Amino acid sequence: MAAAVVEQVWRESAPEAVEDDLAAVWRGIAARGPVARAVMSNLIVFRLHDGSDRARDRAAQFEAQLGAVMARHPSRVIVIEQVRGACELRTPVAAGVGVCVFGPPAARYAMEKIVIRSACAEASLPSIVRRFARGDVPTSIWWTEDASEMEPLPALVSMGRQLVYDSRLWSDVGKGVRAICAVADEETDLSDLNWRRLAPVRRAVVHACSAAPSLTMSSIRIDHVPGDRALAWLLAGWLGAHAGAEAAGDRWPSINQSPENEGERLVVSIGSARVTLAMNDHRVHVTASDAPPFVVAVPRDEQPDAIAAELRTLARDAALRATMDFLATRSGL
Amino acid sequence: MTDQTGAALADRVAQLAASESRQQAVEPVTIVIFGGAGDLAHRKLLPALYNLHLDGLLPPRIAIVGVGRNPMTDEAYREFAKDGVAHFSRRPIEEQAWSTFASSLFFAAASIDDDATLASLGSRLDIIERERGLISNRIYYLAIPPTLFATTVHQLDRARFVARERRASDRRGPFARLIVEKPIGRDLESARAINDALAAVFDESQIFRIDHYLGKETVQNILVLRFANSILEPLFNVRHVDHVQITVAEEEGVGTRAGYYEQAGALRDMVQNHILQLLCMIATEPPRSLDPDVVRDERLEVLLSLRPIEGEAVDRCVVRGQYTAGFSLGRPVPGYREEPRVDPNSNTETFVALQVFIDNWRWSGVPFFLRTGKRLPKRATEISIHLKSVPPILFNANPSGRLDPNVLSIRVQPDEGFALGINSKVPGPEVHVYPVKMDFHYGSTFGGSSPEAYERLLLDVMVGDATLFMRRDQVEAAWRWVMPILNRWAEKGGAPSPYPAGEWGPREADRLIEATGRRWRQL
Repeated sequence: MAAAVVEQVWRESAPEAVEDDLAAVWRGIAARGPVARAVMSNLIVFRLHDGSDRARDRAAQFEAQLGAVMARHPSRVIVIEQVRGACELRTPVAAGVGVCVFGPPAARYAMEKIVIRSACAEASLPSIVRRFARGDVPTSIWWTEDASEMEPLPALVSMGRQLVYDSRLWSDVGKGVRAICAVADEETDLSDLNWRRLAPVRRAVVHACSAAPSLTMSSIRIDHVPGDRALAWLLAGWLGAHAGAEAAGDRWPSINQSPENEGERLVVSIGSARVTLAMNDHRVHVTASDAPPFVVAVPRDEQPDAIAAELRTLARDAALRATMDFLATRSGL
Repeated sequence: MTDQTGAALADRVAQLAASESRQQAVEPVTIVIFGGAGDLAHRKLLPALYNLHLDGLLPPRIAIVGVGRNPMTDEAYREFAKDGVAHFSRRPIEEQAWSTFASSLFFAAASIDDDATLASLGSRLDIIERERGLISNRIYYLAIPPTLFATTVHQLDRARFVARERRASDRRGPFARLIVEKPIGRDLESARAINDALAAVFDESQIFRIDHYLGKETVQNILVLRFANSILEPLFNVRHVDHVQITVAEEEGVGTRAGYYEQAGALRDMVQNHILQLLCMIATEPPRSLDPDVVRDERLEVLLSLRPIEGEAVDRCVVRGQYTAGFSLGRPVPGYREEPRVDPNSNTETFVALQVFIDNWRWSGVPFFLRTGKRLPKRATEISIHLKSVPPILFNANPSGRLDPNVLSIRVQPDEGFALGINSKVPGPEVHVYPVKMDFHYGSTFGGSSPEAYERLLLDVMVGDATLFMRRDQVEAAWRWVMPILNRWAEKGGAPSPYPAGEWGPREADRLIEATGRRWRQL
């Protein structure tokens, strides 16, 4: 599905004129030959907007990434750009609509994107999303900001069936965990891209420690490179919530930031099982004192592939939910 | 030319006429619009006629005469029409085409209660028709308040504007047809009174009661969808359908219509006509032919099969709501009671939701959930047919992740089309199921913009095809079904349930459907 864009039509619009302008864009494209609309879901993307150079650079990267996600998971994309520091504004201030066309002339398909720049109060955002989201497909919210700095808006999150975020962005893991848990009710499917990165480690732990009756948290040491602190804590939370770890007394594994060691991003030592797991970008290497070493492959997931895969997975991830709840309810994080 | 040659030529012309599509075989006609300088003419009728002209569907000989109380020159009326077309037509003005069209536009000042001005209107029409080679085929369009219907048709009769026909197909000489807009009355009694007044002057076959929803492409497509596709029609019954939802959502508030709306409310304004007609289209039995009366007989059967909602059942099966202050597209908007010209203590409903049943063989036990309201999140009209779930085994065995049932949704507006939701396996080594859609959009499939409902309906009147128009018995059957609900509300009094503007109605509406284990579909 990850075809290249063959045509992209974009036009400035006004919030009230979005649907009419989109219809006009579709008609124009259809006039040049048959085109199928591809819509598997609504993808509501929240991002902050300001005029800084850094923000412009980020915006360019984001656009490229969003295009790649659209190519992999066709959605009606609704980007809400919240204008930073303009809280006095009460109404949407600008909009744009576009259609991206993929595929050869005989089998063209296309999807649409709506951008609303807004400084509306949180209470008014649902009226924007309800207006533009299609009710007959699942709705996913993609929170592109650091949730520990900019907490997801409950009114927005409640509009979706799924909340997609990346805990790797979190500058404060504890605040990020609490923000997500506070905003996501039992109905919301959580999709953390970092959790997906952790999947090979979790699989390796299951294989390596399947014979161990229980783990003690204090016997675990996790070393991570800068930037993977959230990954380390997710692992600790998962062990605490699922791996039979002894969590009494709010004890945590020893989690340490260390410089990259020969490319290893995460190194886990489990004392009682005398197991060591080392993850780099390609594999998790597992050694144990009482068994031959083995390797679990790390899938080559580009970021858009990972996001698209999460968007396609609508089943509730009970393990992630339990991990987040475990982390949120234990002190010390 | 000998008689034989003349007869052969006449036969040839008849063959040529028969080879044309029925729309292009429209006879010369004069369309007289009472309320010709009003909002409906400005926004809908004149733009629709202009678009028919662009498509070459108006007869070569035609006159369109606006009638209003205040004098206006033909030139001023053409400017008025041009403004309406410029603002409200689906296609822009093409100057050459416009000048031809404009030459068929005229205006005549007349007051319906003034015999003298009516006489001068008659003279004006005669002159226009004589000058343009017309043969006095007339269509009278009453784009005026319903309170004036009876007086107007009575005066048309007195002024000898109408030749009564037994049936349109039996007629000899020029035809006269009447178009009336909803609402036909505000209750059964007043509807009967209006219908009696119309029937005193026009035969039922001459009367065309417009419900513009029936002119929309998707609504017309319902019959095609059902009866031209062998994969679908077998599903339309109690064995396969879990329930049906019909939503007519308006984003706007009451706006400038407060005077009318305060007296009407959502049930009269939307349910009694549009929604019940949509219900009839989706639930009808296959007609034995496409003859207008056969199709309308079947729609009437649906109305007659509706289970009455009476007495306490009204409290259980009907929810009425009224919008309070909230947001529309991010903007704060006032509540209904704060709108201009609305009583601050008004109990008029701006939202209504109903659970109804059709007690016939096909639909017995299948609930139909209907809802409509103002200040909802978006303007959208949709019919969705929710098929029964697959058994809770195999791919539907996970209690925390039940599969979405298949839904056939028919979008009436905007973005007309239909879609079928189907569960599919996501590519990959594991079995993940994802609801995908087979989606059809008129706009991106056929390109160009669909004709407006009024275009189709006006053309049908010119052709004399009443399929998409409401017959007297249908109108009165709908009122007969609605009256017990109105009566119950009048007896019980009380305020409608509040809901914030920008949301999908009051919580009670959710409870109405959730009590049956179902949910409103999000649009």
